[in-house]
Amino acid sequence: MADLLFELGVEEIPTHAVGAIHNQLKDLFRARLEKLNLSHGGIEGAASNRRLMVHVTRLSEKTAHKEETVLGPAKRIALDERGAPTVALKKFCEINQVKLADVVEIETAKGSYLGIVRVAGGEDTAKLLQTAIPEILAGLTFSKTMVWNESRVPFIRPIRNILALFNNKPLAVEFAGIQSGNKALGHLLLSDAFFEVNSFKDYVQGLSKNFIILREEERKAKILAEIKDIEADLDGRVRVDETMLDYYVFSNEYPVAFSGSFDAKYLNLPAEIIATFMTHEKKLLPVYDRAGKLSNFFVGVANIPDENKKVSRGNEKVIKATFEDAQFFWDMDRKIDFFSLKPLLKNVMFQKELGTYLDKIGRVAALVDFLVNETHNGALREKLQKAAFHCKNDLLTKMVREFPSLQGIMGGLYLKEAGEDPVVWKAIYGHYLPRGLADEKLDDLGAGILSIADRIDNIAGFVGKGIKISSSKDPYGIRRDANAIIKIIVDFKLAVDLAPLIRLAVLNFAKKDADLQRDCDAINELFISRLENSLKDYWHFRYDIVNAVLGKDALSVYDTFLKAEALAKLAAGGLVDQLAAVQRRLKNISKGMERCHFSEGLLKDHEEKILSDIFKESKPRIDALIIKKNYLQASSEILEMKPIIDRFFDKVLVMDENESLRKNRIALLQRIDELLSSVADFSLLVELKPGEKI
Amino acid sequence: MSIQNVILKLQDFWAERGCYIASGYDNEVGAGTMSPDTFFRVLGKKPWRAAYWQPARRPDDGRYGQNPNRVQKHNQFQVIIKPVPDEGQILFLDSLIYLGVDINIHDIKFDEDNWASPSLGAWGVGWQVMCDGLEITQFTYFQQAGGMELNPNSLEITYGVERLAMFLDGQNNIYDLDWGNKVSYSALNLECERQFSIYNFELADIVMLRGVFQQYQKEAEKLLEHQLYLPAYDYLLKCSHTFNILDARKAISVAERTALMGIMRNLSARIAQKYVMQTDGEDHG
Repeated sequence: MADLLFELGVEEIPTHAVGAIHNQLKDLFRARLEKLNLSHGGIEGAASNRRLMVHVTRLSEKTAHKEETVLGPAKRIALDERGAPTVALKKFCEINQVKLADVVEIETAKGSYLGIVRVAGGEDTAKLLQTAIPEILAGLTFSKTMVWNESRVPFIRPIRNILALFNNKPLAVEFAGIQSGNKALGHLLLSDAFFEVNSFKDYVQGLSKNFIILREEERKAKILAEIKDIEADLDGRVRVDETMLDYYVFSNEYPVAFSGSFDAKYLNLPAEIIATFMTHEKKLLPVYDRAGKLSNFFVGVANIPDENKKVSRGNEKVIKATFEDAQFFWDMDRKIDFFSLKPLLKNVMFQKELGTYLDKIGRVAALVDFLVNETHNGALREKLQKAAFHCKNDLLTKMVREFPSLQGIMGGLYLKEAGEDPVVWKAIYGHYLPRGLADEKLDDLGAGILSIADRIDNIAGFVGKGIKISSSKDPYGIRRDANAIIKIIVDFKLAVDLAPLIRLAVLNFAKKDADLQRDCDAINELFISRLENSLKDYWHFRYDIVNAVLGKDALSVYDTFLKAEALAKLAAGGLVDQLAAVQRRLKNISKGMERCHFSEGLLKDHEEKILSDIFKESKPRIDALIIKKNYLQASSEILEMKPIIDRFFDKVLVMDENESLRKNRIALLQRIDELLSSVADFSLLVELKPGEKI
Repeated sequence: MSIQNVILKLQDFWAERGCYIASGYDNEVGAGTMSPDTFFRVLGKKPWRAAYWQPARRPDDGRYGQNPNRVQKHNQFQVIIKPVPDEGQILFLDSLIYLGVDINIHDIKFDEDNWASPSLGAWGVGWQVMCDGLEITQFTYFQQAGGMELNPNSLEITYGVERLAMFLDGQNNIYDLDWGNKVSYSALNLECERQFSIYNFELADIVMLRGVFQQYQKEAEKLLEHQLYLPAYDYLLKCSHTFNILDARKAISVAERTALMGIMRNLSARIAQKYVMQTDGEDHG
């Protein structure tokens, strides 16, 4: 048993790409070892922006032996009547380079054949790896590549070193013009360029001697622990978001958290600006006080210890300069009347083929109007229209030109400064939010309505333009827009049916009726799939509950959500199985039948009369509950009919010889099924055994 | 450390490493990349090592002399090496050490930042080099220039001279810098920043500038017909600077931006092609 230690030393890989590339590398190694029939004790690895390491333990030194049968000619062809070898058999031996004596008889389903059984495998692992490793590296894919040397091999950044040890001996490998050796890359700043490695143990020791913390988890833990210490020191709170944490983890091989402060006079700038400049510009995190107010402290992560506070002091200077810039933009922009910017939007392209932002705000305002009506928020109409017409003005401000991520927020802040009505500025402020399902709930309904209008216009435009999204590609953020719309509707409990909204949005772009239908269908489908996804993965409903509620009215998003909630409660109370059983039975019996006509006069048996009476009596009550969106109560009332329905099935022969009796009975059952279906299709629910969970 | 010492030391360092020390180009440029010593020399096969101090103008960065860190005219120190050396990163770190940076106590990071100049049809892959959070250098592997794939590739290192001097001198304000021998940065540049900011943002004559852009463009095209790609390139640079002033004046709409960029990209591609055709990528002879 041997082990393979492989480390690719690369000039700083963009931090956001490191994790995915390293996973690719491990997967490619795993697949290749499997293909080569090489057993091993596991593949582990670690990565930073400077190194991608793979360690394969207990790797067999030779490929596994395997018996291999090579069939030759059939026996009756291979041997003549006297049992002597024919030309066919001699030829077979020649081709396979074996003697006649090696040939054996092999029984197959098609009869007796002659052939050989030989042992394959036993190849040297080291040799196979020498070929495999360059191919594995060539198999890595990147979103953007570059070339740097004569090999012209495209890679994400220049490769500077290949360490390859097999069985603690250097394994000669060449890729992109670089020869492997027994050296590993050192720390960029704290050690020599390379250090020698002769075993995995050596490697681990060498790393720690050279200030390299190999494991991501260890670096992450160190960073978080040190930030915690700083929080305690400053009596403050730091919100470490995932993106920034990943950035710190992958851009530092020896991460050290540090803190610093800035002149409190800059706290006069809006907190949003300060936080954005710190995080996006300077990769530093703001510190909040106990009350959640921004303080004049910040936190960052360096790649070296900062005992002399040089890093901290340096960052303090930089952040001061950054705030000076922010102050400049903030002051310059406020000199201009914000409303006067609107006509200039004719110069700002929204998207090729989709017109300018001036065109867009007109469409958005119309959609806002529709949404205000639908959601019974007529009182907000005028103010939200105003917000819609000015929501893109900030694209022309210096601040947003410099920091696009502040769009919306700046428009809101500039209008707030100018004393504008809160409904207007808050709507503009929040209309790019939420960014995803996991974001916090928007605190302003107007912002939610404007956000829906803006986003449905994006989706209609992009889909109409023929932009396709796939699991890996969504360059225009169509999926994100759809998720945000769903979240806003659920968060604000909006009674909006998306179908007519989608149609209205598409009407703004579609040139022909056929386009209109095609795009509406595509977007409806998109929303159904987003809804399915968010109900399952974000709101964590059982998959079968989600399937059950995604029926024909599913685009009334909030209703769909409430139905799922009701079903989840029924399931928790152990009641869905009974409803599922009822509806399955109802559906089975009328399977493949058209909707039949029902006539009370054709009721004959006692049990069917009772069922009809109960149904007639309950239906208005259940309908009323459904209209009130009390799906739980509606389902419970339907469930109360179960004994009567069961009794009906026990006593009444649905498939009566008399066609009109038969059809009438089916018709009654169809009516009950329809009533149930207006809550959900319970028949799709999975029946769980006791103790089983989904 | 004074500005002039930063420049002198960098010249010294890179001359030792085989670079020819060029003069900065005597035409308004937005970056050291736009000097012919880079734009032309990264094309073709011939190895090239040059280093030079290049004043660069970016009208939109003007702050009326009131921002401690931003100016519309700053100084770059440009190094261009073809083919790419294996030890480029180490050479660069060595140059910082030579300048007096202790890399064991300062946090130097290579942060993803790909460079592109659409008007030069050029782009590269690389980083901005941060020192304790301050961007001091752009480090780029050239991939394309004048719309042509480059083979071999060049390494471009562009130091921000003021940034380095501020860092080395522990200054917070650019105007507190010493240019050299007690001549202060503010005495040399403060009034210049004020005047050019007023000009670039408020007074630049939009109609006149649109007109000269077209005239420069025509001149460049005429010169190209005469195979004179060097003066043609000068007029492309003039177009580029004129465009930058118009942009600072917020006088360029989206559609116009696309059109003007297209004109410059087209010119740069034709100029690059002429150069490669005429010299076969070898030399000026």
